[in-house]
Amino acid sequence: MKSGFIPCAPFFGLIMATGFAADTADVAFFEQKIRPVLVEHCYSCHSADATKLKANLYLDSKAGWEKGGDGGGPVIIPGQPEASLLIRVIQHVEADLAMPPKKPKLPDAVIADFVTWVKIGAPDPRDGVKLVAKRGDASWWSLQPVATRFPHRSIDDFIEAALAAKGLQRSGEAEPRALIRRMTYDVTGLPPTAAEVAAFVAAQRADSDGAVAALADRLLASPRYGERWGRHWLDVIRFGESHGFERNVINDDLWPFRDYVIRSINEDRPFDTFIVEHLAGDVLGKDNPAMEVGSAFLVAGPYDDVGNQSVEAQANIRAATLDDIITATSGAFLGLTVSCARCHHHKFDPIPTEDYYRLRAAFEGVKHGRRVLATREERAAFATAMAPLNARKAQLTAELDALDQTIDSRARTELGLRTYVRPKIDPQQTVESFAPVPARYVRFTIRAFTSNPKTGDGSRAGKPGTRGAGRLTEFEVWRAGAGARNVALASQGGRAEGARSSVAEDFPEAYGPQFTIDGLFGEQWFIGNPAELTITLAQVETIDRITFSNAKGLNIEEGQARGATPCEYDIRVSRDGVAWQTVASGDDRVPWTPEHGVERMRRAVITAEEETQLAELEKQITDVQGEINRVPKLPQVWAGTYTEPKTATFVHKGGDPMKPGEAVAPASLAVLGHVAKAYVLPPETAEGQRRLALAQWITAPDNPLTPRVLANRVWQSHFGTGIVDTPSDFGFLGARPTHPELLDYLAQRLVAGGWKLKALHREILLSKTYRQSAAYRETAAREDKEARLLWRFPPRRLSAEELRDTMLSVAGQLKLEPMGGPGFRLYKFTQNNVCTYFPLDTHGPETYRRAVYHQNARASVVDVLTDFDLPDIALAAPKRANTTTPLQALTLLNHRFTLEMAAALSARLLRDDPVASAYRFTLQREPTARERTAALNLLATHGVESFCRALLNANELLYLD
Amino acid sequence: MTHSLDLTRRAFLGHMSTGLTGVALARLLAGELRASSPSGPQFAPKAKQVLQIFCPGGASHVDLWDHKPLLEKFHGTPMPGGETEVTFQGKNGNLMKSPWAFAPAGQTGKMISTLLPHMAGHADEMAFIHSMVSRTNTHGPGCVAMNTCFTREGFPSAGSWLSYALGSLNDDLPTYIAIQDLRGEPPNGKANWGNGFLSAQHQAVSMAAHQPLRNLARPAGIPPEQERATRDFLQLMNAEHAAAHEGHDELRARMAAYELAAKMQLTAPAVSDLSREPAHVHALYGTGDRNALKAAYAKNCLLARRFLEKGVRYVSLYCASRASAVDGLLNWDAHKTLQADYERHGPIFDQPTAALLTDLKQRGLLQDVLVVWCTEFGRMPTHQDGTSGRDHNPDAFTTWMMGAGVRGGVSYGATDDFGRRSVQDVTTVHDFYATVLHLLGLDHEKLTYYHNGANRRLTDVHGHVIKPLLA
Repeated sequence: MKSGFIPCAPFFGLIMATGFAADTADVAFFEQKIRPVLVEHCYSCHSADATKLKANLYLDSKAGWEKGGDGGGPVIIPGQPEASLLIRVIQHVEADLAMPPKKPKLPDAVIADFVTWVKIGAPDPRDGVKLVAKRGDASWWSLQPVATRFPHRSIDDFIEAALAAKGLQRSGEAEPRALIRRMTYDVTGLPPTAAEVAAFVAAQRADSDGAVAALADRLLASPRYGERWGRHWLDVIRFGESHGFERNVINDDLWPFRDYVIRSINEDRPFDTFIVEHLAGDVLGKDNPAMEVGSAFLVAGPYDDVGNQSVEAQANIRAATLDDIITATSGAFLGLTVSCARCHHHKFDPIPTEDYYRLRAAFEGVKHGRRVLATREERAAFATAMAPLNARKAQLTAELDALDQTIDSRARTELGLRTYVRPKIDPQQTVESFAPVPARYVRFTIRAFTSNPKTGDGSRAGKPGTRGAGRLTEFEVWRAGAGARNVALASQGGRAEGARSSVAEDFPEAYGPQFTIDGLFGEQWFIGNPAELTITLAQVETIDRITFSNAKGLNIEEGQARGATPCEYDIRVSRDGVAWQTVASGDDRVPWTPEHGVERMRRAVITAEEETQLAELEKQITDVQGEINRVPKLPQVWAGTYTEPKTATFVHKGGDPMKPGEAVAPASLAVLGHVAKAYVLPPETAEGQRRLALAQWITAPDNPLTPRVLANRVWQSHFGTGIVDTPSDFGFLGARPTHPELLDYLAQRLVAGGWKLKALHREILLSKTYRQSAAYRETAAREDKEARLLWRFPPRRLSAEELRDTMLSVAGQLKLEPMGGPGFRLYKFTQNNVCTYFPLDTHGPETYRRAVYHQNARASVVDVLTDFDLPDIALAAPKRANTTTPLQALTLLNHRFTLEMAAALSARLLRDDPVASAYRFTLQREPTARERTAALNLLATHGVESFCRALLNANELLYLD
Repeated sequence: MTHSLDLTRRAFLGHMSTGLTGVALARLLAGELRASSPSGPQFAPKAKQVLQIFCPGGASHVDLWDHKPLLEKFHGTPMPGGETEVTFQGKNGNLMKSPWAFAPAGQTGKMISTLLPHMAGHADEMAFIHSMVSRTNTHGPGCVAMNTCFTREGFPSAGSWLSYALGSLNDDLPTYIAIQDLRGEPPNGKANWGNGFLSAQHQAVSMAAHQPLRNLARPAGIPPEQERATRDFLQLMNAEHAAAHEGHDELRARMAAYELAAKMQLTAPAVSDLSREPAHVHALYGTGDRNALKAAYAKNCLLARRFLEKGVRYVSLYCASRASAVDGLLNWDAHKTLQADYERHGPIFDQPTAALLTDLKQRGLLQDVLVVWCTEFGRMPTHQDGTSGRDHNPDAFTTWMMGAGVRGGVSYGATDDFGRRSVQDVTTVHDFYATVLHLLGLDHEKLTYYHNGANRRLTDVHGHVIKPLLA
């Protein structure tokens, strides 16, 4: 990875070394009087080192001022200072253009020097220097057609030629154990077994090439290959299973896409089709879920679903949502950073800002969301199964409603006969007084809240309940007599119990009933189900009054914001918690609303027979609902929904969606206009057809980027680093290919082979380049430390997933079947409006699956995987980081997962030779004599599990040769 | 480092050491990382460490720091030109004065809300930026932007950039620590202290008084002798393996990482042990307050000071957490009941934070530590329709700086008469962090890292150092 400060020194050095063109005295004048001023006052905006080149004008070379800037034409006319733009601007005689900008005019003496210099012909020794490109243009290497004729015929020949040019040589064949470990991990992400290693060693002795070919074929045929290579691909396309942003809601319906990726790769389906399905699987495979699911790619990135009322914010959020799709598409398939052209033309690549909006036009109809993915037959079968059940439910509900209405009508009549004198409850504070009574327990049973007259528990089938609506900030119990005080307070030893309707697991106190006895009128208890508060006093007290409040001291508006208040209730007391006595009730108060009164009267007028009928109907409805629930749902996948855009796509000036510029048609990108056949669709083209056209253009035979980028990813998966080290950026700021011809050779092989990856993998795996030793050679390292030229096989560390899978595998705990399905979680997921992910201290057996099946949530941290550089997939991660930190050591030593794997490994060791047995499981070799002695010592003193714990931490387990 | 500690460590590690000192170990680790850090400031820094105090939820500038007398005068009348404005949660009502009076503080007479009497005591040393603006009106992206300069996730936080640019000042504690509130994580959680595309060692480690470093402790049931013997055996294996792999620096680096981990196991619990502080210090912070939330935050403040003392490069200290089922319950997001909400949050924040600043100053730590106070945006000067709270206002909010390299008593920039919009010296988060980097000896335009097609900067392609804030 490139990093750090923008280099500046080398370029200057180049200038200094080339100055022999002009007369010596003139050059001295330039060097003494002119160059220092240019460097000090002009270079920061007009040189190859400028952070931002202004007006496209270079003053750090003769060619620069001869060519001139955006204004066109030379800025210095030798011999004619008055006609030279450079002189005029430093003299401040040019309208609206005074240089240096925003700074005082240069001293008159300096300006006079410049005039003199131009008069004598502007001698400039810097004329050996060509203009250094500050950006790529249409001649950029990656934008050229893929070569079809090559100087070499095999991977090894390309590599050898590049090595030879540096006087280097390829290493000899790797030792067989190293080779099978390397290849098994590389292709499947798992270690070989000791038996597989032994078999390979023997086979290789008999027929080296044959054994390697057989091994490669076996590994590529294994379903483990799709799990390994699928994981690479999921990194590339920023696949994550939560939405990110503020709410970061988990996504349980995206795993079918992950399974689709693994399946497609295992089946070696042509990758061009695979790409088309990513962009337009729904168009191509209507009613064919296996193909349609591919389009979930579009919506697999972060998604801001916060409700925002501001129009400007909505437009910005929509722009950011589509930007994610544009960024993912251009990076994954084309290796282009088109998103850099969102606000202005790309600063480094020939990508006009219109190209960005052409891509946007293709995606304008995409919305994030779930949709049913099913065949026509499945949909029909579902509808057939549901129809009678829905009809039955509707009929029963109608009967229930009819019965309810007769009861309600009697209740309404009854209510008309009653007169209530006690006032309504008051959300600010309601007082209930009663004759003094000794009590240890006070129970507040709530039947309804101000927001809804129906019963407090909301359990009635088909009726909206009030569950979750009611709140209370304080409940006071007053001691009778002269020393009246609130004895319910926690500070007085009181205790409050009651269900809550909301939970914040990271803040357990939140919403709890204890807030009703904290003496404060701020925090509220969120009343749950059953809606009942029980106060236990420190001792039996004689009490004569209770008060309850929800919005004390607040005005009506604020009171409404505090939520509903209990208004239909009983208050009972008890000395022993067994025998209860009702001391007060809301039943004799004026009802909060007439409907509350009707509901209260229902309790009075309902007959026993009606109660039975109601219960029976409710039961039947529950039963039919149960049957409905048992009908298998049509599978819903987070694959996006599609609607025709209502307006054309406009360029956003400066990237601001509130500043529409000119309209842009759905079309191919101009950046490849000179090489790939272009298309422009009419603005009214259906949105699906737009995506399909884009997909077909991306995978068209004349598009040079797609196969190059893909071949490079395949190469990277085998050697750790791609031929281009910036796998999703083949532009100007990206790395240059170390072996450009080899890259084209691979790209061409890929396309010629029908876009099948396995053949390409096989060709690489069988090469001598791949099979060579990883041994270090000082002389070669001096020339090429990172082995980019592949004079040895670059050793590597296991990825996060490989490490966890390995620990499970060597401990005999890894469950390979069933493949796929909903993912497992190494965090506890909680949601209280927004979502929080807590890493787990214990990873249960349900997590003993391959890490590719972990439900990777955004902005979450999980042990082992995050420590070992599993990326947070807010952005695509086409290349994994590789860090070494003390926190890795702490996790791998101390997390329960290691201890449990150590225990499991211990349990499977041979009784008579646990040391050798453990080495075979973990490292597929025999221990050395020294290791055996040390291990036996450790075993004897501290037990076999401590020995296994050490082995699971060993470098040899984590690194491959 | 005391002799006895050294002995303990040796006992811990057995005789397996690579023979390198802690700093050398740390260097070995750093050197191994091929994404080599620029390592070190570009010019003489004024500050070496940063304490970031973050009040998530959109802490209201007009109720805390930005005194608006006209808001009082025109209370209850429509805001001119704002009658039909629709903001995050919808429509807005009339102008609403702050429930709290403002009072002059310090020599400068800076007007500070009487909700924050303790903080007012530091007014002369604080440099206020009253003209902040945000690009988003949503908490999550807003918090992330206040930490990374980008509203999208996936970019490194300022602490990560500083870890990358300057490295560590110690060898036995993390470089960058995020201290979360007892009430939970801030909006967008871990994305606020993530490393983005920088390598993982630059992300903050999450710790708090109520939450020790994960996986730090030797597992229960493994006695020290067994631990030592296990590590000895591991060392033997790794040493032989490394010997057979000449030129493979990563192997030695990973052995060094195990030694550093052992050092951390000794240091981190000691630093986190607040019982080592005298009673008067606990009293100053309010760690024993009967308000459990205030006591918890006070402990975190004290912990922050202890981390800074030990040379942690960047400490992020959160006061409050995320959006919950009720607006304004868990953080400063007072949509409906501003007064009740801030009567909860204000006292939790005020005394402990002021105590932390006092303590840092008394110990001379403000020579090296730059303190910055952040929130993601401000609040409307009007009340939200149908409530007595305020909706989000990305067009105006206040932040402040204090400590190393900062000119105290400055008020930079201004909002309009009501605090609706920043109008004078409008300041972005890019300017804010350009200034922070400048104080740490870094040119924000030159601290770059290549990622997916761009030489990325903390300040994106924007930002100017705010010179009037510099001492």
